[in-house]
Amino acid sequence: MSEKQKHIRNFSIIAHIDHGKSTLADRILEYTRTVTTREMEEQLLDNMDLERERGITIKARAVRLDYTAPNGEEYALNLIDTPGHVDFNYEVSRSLNACDGALLVVDATQGIEAQTLANAYLAVDANLEIVPVINKIDLPSADVERVRNEIEDVIGILAEDCPAVSAKTGLNIGDVLDKIVSDIPAPEGDPNAPLKCLIFDSYYDSYLGVVVYVRVMDGTLKAGDRIRLMSNDAEFDVVEVGSMEPFGLKKRDSISAGEVGYITASIKYVGDTRVGDTVTHAENGAAEPLPGFKAVQPMVYAGIYPADGARYGDLRDALEKLQLNDAALVFEPETSVALGFGFRCGFLGLLHMEIIEERLEREFNLDLITTAPGVIYKITMKDGEVRMIENPASYPSPDEIDVAAEPVVKATIITPTDYVGGIMELCQDKRGTFIDMKYLDQTRAELHYILPLNEIIYDFFDALKSRSRGYASLDYEFSDYVPSKLVRLDFMLNGEQVDALSFIVHEEKAYARARRIAEKLKENIPRQLFEVPIQAAIGNRIIARETVKAMRKDVLAKCYGGDITRKKKLLEKQKEGKKKMRKLGSVEVSPEAFMAVLRLDDDN
Amino acid sequence: MMITDAMKKLGIYVHIPFCKSKCGYCDFCSHPPRDGETDRYLNALMLHMQDFSGAAQDYVVDTVYVGGGTPSLLSKKQVKSLVECIKSSFELDKDVEFTIEANPGTVDKGYLRFLISLGINRISFGLQSASDKELEALGRIHTVADFEKSFKAARDAGFKNINVDLMYGIPHQSAVSFGETLEFVRGLDPEHISVYGLKIEEGTPFYQQKDKLPLPDEETEYKMYRTAHNVLENAGYKHYEISNFARRGFESKHNMRYWLDEKYLGFGISAHSYFAGQRYAYIDDMEKYIHEMEHPKNMSDILSECTDIDVFTKETEYVMLRMRLFDGVDINDYRQEFDRDFINKYGDKLKRYVEGGFVVLDNRHCAFTVKGMYVSNYILSDILDF
Repeated sequence: MSEKQKHIRNFSIIAHIDHGKSTLADRILEYTRTVTTREMEEQLLDNMDLERERGITIKARAVRLDYTAPNGEEYALNLIDTPGHVDFNYEVSRSLNACDGALLVVDATQGIEAQTLANAYLAVDANLEIVPVINKIDLPSADVERVRNEIEDVIGILAEDCPAVSAKTGLNIGDVLDKIVSDIPAPEGDPNAPLKCLIFDSYYDSYLGVVVYVRVMDGTLKAGDRIRLMSNDAEFDVVEVGSMEPFGLKKRDSISAGEVGYITASIKYVGDTRVGDTVTHAENGAAEPLPGFKAVQPMVYAGIYPADGARYGDLRDALEKLQLNDAALVFEPETSVALGFGFRCGFLGLLHMEIIEERLEREFNLDLITTAPGVIYKITMKDGEVRMIENPASYPSPDEIDVAAEPVVKATIITPTDYVGGIMELCQDKRGTFIDMKYLDQTRAELHYILPLNEIIYDFFDALKSRSRGYASLDYEFSDYVPSKLVRLDFMLNGEQVDALSFIVHEEKAYARARRIAEKLKENIPRQLFEVPIQAAIGNRIIARETVKAMRKDVLAKCYGGDITRKKKLLEKQKEGKKKMRKLGSVEVSPEAFMAVLRLDDDN
Repeated sequence: MMITDAMKKLGIYVHIPFCKSKCGYCDFCSHPPRDGETDRYLNALMLHMQDFSGAAQDYVVDTVYVGGGTPSLLSKKQVKSLVECIKSSFELDKDVEFTIEANPGTVDKGYLRFLISLGINRISFGLQSASDKELEALGRIHTVADFEKSFKAARDAGFKNINVDLMYGIPHQSAVSFGETLEFVRGLDPEHISVYGLKIEEGTPFYQQKDKLPLPDEETEYKMYRTAHNVLENAGYKHYEISNFARRGFESKHNMRYWLDEKYLGFGISAHSYFAGQRYAYIDDMEKYIHEMEHPKNMSDILSECTDIDVFTKETEYVMLRMRLFDGVDINDYRQEFDRDFINKYGDKLKRYVEGGFVVLDNRHCAFTVKGMYVSNYILSDILDF
């Protein structure tokens, strides 16, 4: 191992949401004087406004810190930030593979939560040295000893002398730096071996093209080298290599084994540089790629439409722009009789979907109508053909289907024991299969269930929170496709099917959902001149029915003292409202009504 | 000055913004008068009218409407000077329809006789309901008995053209009680009856309590409206406009001006005018209004709105206003006015409403059916261009 390598530490910070990961990163940056307090913007690592607002990290970022240890030795610390949400599990695991150690931040008032465990397991899988850090010790309800014991008992790692800090006040941050240097091993790897770089993030820059973040495992890379991406054999000429500094990229002559750095090579699409892929030299490259690469697949699909049909083009441009930086986002055009032209979009999960929606609305100033999110069903037809169905519209008719299968996830729920009963009931209700339950200590339990993904994306998380007063935490990962009694539920207004309202649901749930949505439609469809029957159907069997009564009276009787203007304004306003309406045959429905019906809240 | 048939016709509206107390549903411009305020206001009003006598010199005034508020709160002396000012500022037609609004219980026979002697020949009473409970709920200060007395006094005094305002959709009102109100009024045999739906307007006390008010539901309101149509038509009143019923020949000429797109000048705070190709209205700030009249500087300071009516707007308004009348749009008249074919412009849009029985359309006229009239906002906002 070279002297240089001995003075490198590659690490990430992992934690349950809100346990203070980003704040700790900020303090470390400050402590190493990489950023002066004055320059310090809160949570510097989270670049996007949205992230800062939500207090969550969406995409991994990396930064190099120069640290002089108390013994005078100088170290290069590469901090690799990881996304903190279950939707981005794969990205987390790749980021961890780029590291040699991880700081596991645990809230001194809350202890271990579902994502603490999930992330710790990911770190163990990646063979990382785990350094526990107990945070928020400034809070009155902090119980450092209890949390120390919990870490040792539940995760099984020594926490006896682990740093106990307050990232908020900066207390004991020095201990964390000492631990990083002393406990996390220096990176291995041979600078002279064939090149192997692990891609853990990439983004599109309008000047540089795609900027690829890598950890060099073996070999050395410099500008001018011709590289090959091992998953798709795409080749590029390297324009620049360097390191990530807090305020931007810094060009270097080369990057070599053990280092974390960036590559630019006039790459146009982030889709070419998938997270987890291996970069090697085009000639004399590595024989085998690094293990663990998989192309991320969307798990959740929904139709996204502009509220104003004329903005279809703007929506397409916006999605294309977002896709430049988000290879996990997929979309293709779709048409709906009800909603006009829009896109069927695939997301990693619900949070990913919400983030995309919000960015479209905020950064591109679009008003959207989003259809109910759904998952991908695996349908084996009677003729043996297997179809993956992500759009209810293309769901085959029941008599052509041999086996319908739906995706299920393995879910881990950690909850105070008081709420175990309610949560088990909930999981039962959501068609879950119980696997096991462990007591973490006297007060908290860890439950494992197999749950259908389409129940999770429906309203599971909100229901879990409400049944545990917000204390239960959830983590899940895709498990398998299992056969299931699925049906497509359709809705008709005035006898005409409204395609945007169709969705696929388990047979047992169909009646309750049909009734609920029919009621919502009734509440939200403005009265028309004619009576509007609402029907919910499976195939041609009607399973729920409501009626929107005809409007009887809509008249301004008094036109006082010749005030014609007021009357006219009233009609004008009414007309404005009507312009936004979507016409479904003879029925007018406002975008708000659509959203109200499609919103999946308040119906446990 | 000689009055000839060729002279252009004009209506005058005068706003008296004073009431003894304000009703819970009222969003018109009115308040109880402060000390001396009435005289100062009347003075300003008269200056205002005199100011316009030049602009109106080519017109003959065939309708005058003194509305409020409660104009009958004015003393005899005050009414007299107001009427004299109107007569001296404008050329009144010999058959002028001269209306004053009155609150039941605020007038006696002597006062009413005095109004007749001034040339006021039509009186409009705001009865609203023939149930004391409903009157109380509305915040009216009169009783049904007060009204009956005032009505008979007006007849005795010589009023041959009386209007009674009614309301449906009042708190506590039922289809039955509304039917009783209609019967009661029919028994008194007024020449004209207006039937308005109570509308809860923002900024009124009713608006704040709207969730707690015991209002009849939409179906009941619809039933009341239909009942008014059936009962009054059967009793020989013609339902000639959305909310107005009259004996033949007693349609309100002044209100017809509004629907027939004819000119009128309004005076006083919050009064509206349609004159010289513009619609405009005055502010509702009493002090500012009085000040501007006493120390004229810039009349536009007291305007709250002013719009030029171009051909496009005029066409929209024409259809919007004519369609309030059961006679509807005369397709020949429309062609002469705008040099275009009504059916060409609106035929397609109206088709579904004609098929649904909401609108009648042939090559001579276009009008709402009774059923269509109830949902006229919906249909008009759909077919008109703004």
